[in-house]
Amino acid sequence: MPGSGSRSGVSYDARGLVEPHADMPDNIEVDGSRARFDATDLTIRQINMALRKLIYNDGIADVTVLNPASKHSLAVGILKRCRIHFEGSPGWFACGLIDGPEVTINGRVGWSVAENMMSGVVTIERSAGSLTGAAIRGGDLIVKGDVGARTGIDQKGGTIIVTGDVGINTGFMMQRGRQIICGNAGMNLGDSMYDGSIYVAGKVRSLGVDCVPGEWTDADTELIERKFRVHNLGEPPTFEKFVCGQQLHNYDALEPSERKLVIH
Amino acid sequence: MAGSASTGESSRETRTVAIDAEVLAGKRFAYQEDMSLVEDIDLLAATPGPDINWLEDITLLEEDGVPAVFDRYSNSFLKIYFDIPSGREDEIARKVLIKHLTDGNSYGITLKDIHCKFPQVELGPWVDESAVVGTDWRQPVLEGWTAPAGH
Repeated sequence: MPGSGSRSGVSYDARGLVEPHADMPDNIEVDGSRARFDATDLTIRQINMALRKLIYNDGIADVTVLNPASKHSLAVGILKRCRIHFEGSPGWFACGLIDGPEVTINGRVGWSVAENMMSGVVTIERSAGSLTGAAIRGGDLIVKGDVGARTGIDQKGGTIIVTGDVGINTGFMMQRGRQIICGNAGMNLGDSMYDGSIYVAGKVRSLGVDCVPGEWTDADTELIERKFRVHNLGEPPTFEKFVCGQQLHNYDALEPSERKLVIH
Repeated sequence: MAGSASTGESSRETRTVAIDAEVLAGKRFAYQEDMSLVEDIDLLAATPGPDINWLEDITLLEEDGVPAVFDRYSNSFLKIYFDIPSGREDEIARKVLIKHLTDGNSYGITLKDIHCKFPQVELGPWVDESAVVGTDWRQPVLEGWTAPAGH
């Protein structure tokens, strides 16, 4: 791909891609509508190139990536219904900006998994780092372990389920959506949240500014039971619900104006 | 211009403060006026995972006094003009939105072919078979312009 040089000697193409090694991997095994490849010796760009080619161009609906080896930004920006399996642990920003894929991760993940996810399902079999589900817009994100700080920061939709504990500032500035936390929550749960619901089965170290206990409804029971059933999470524990106290922000009043373009 | 609210007394043209899907498209769509066109849509089939996934956050709203559903892919409201049966408000809103998206009528979709820098399916994840766009993006060239020295 033609590039333009810079003083640093790094070559950028018109789209800002910098990683020099951009050859398509030659170790992809295809079997009908399924494919798999070993990422051990591949660069991040090669892995993502292979995923896009298989899913977009070759009509592959089910891809397995072996040995992701904590490489960052894997399976980012996939905008099609498909299944992706990671046999191992991706690094930071895995599965960000996706719209449609159903992803299973048979390992851990670093920061910001499924950041800005629009739709899809991401299931992580072990623990996740901080900023899990940051700014998620839709879909289901399931972590079968503990997560770090700021889970679902700026969450605008979707459902985050954590079977273990969550760290400090979980649900910080949450604007919409649902968090289901089966373990304990760290300090400042739901700090400055606008809207949405946070369900916690364990102990809450402290509530953040304007986060208050909410009234339990039949819709909450239906949601919890359905999510546990469809994701095979067993029998749900008893949860307490937390919502926005609407003293700091009132998202019901804010939202309509946020969605309009004002022409002066 | 549909669904408008005047923002200036001396304006010659009607200006709107809302972003209306009809305005972006330049027309109204049949499924905004005829519920029978969306009744058969399978919401479970249209969404990833074992339930309605992202549509859980889609509910019937109101814009300019008219029932409407918000299309996050174009940041616009899609108004619904037929009578919606009581108790089915959110379901119908979701079906109208899915029809709008799968038919490729969301304004964001119409921009993809021209502006996508990276390969992606034109109609998004809602349609199984869809063209891939963004495979041949080229940097726009402004005629007569030359890059400053050092760039």
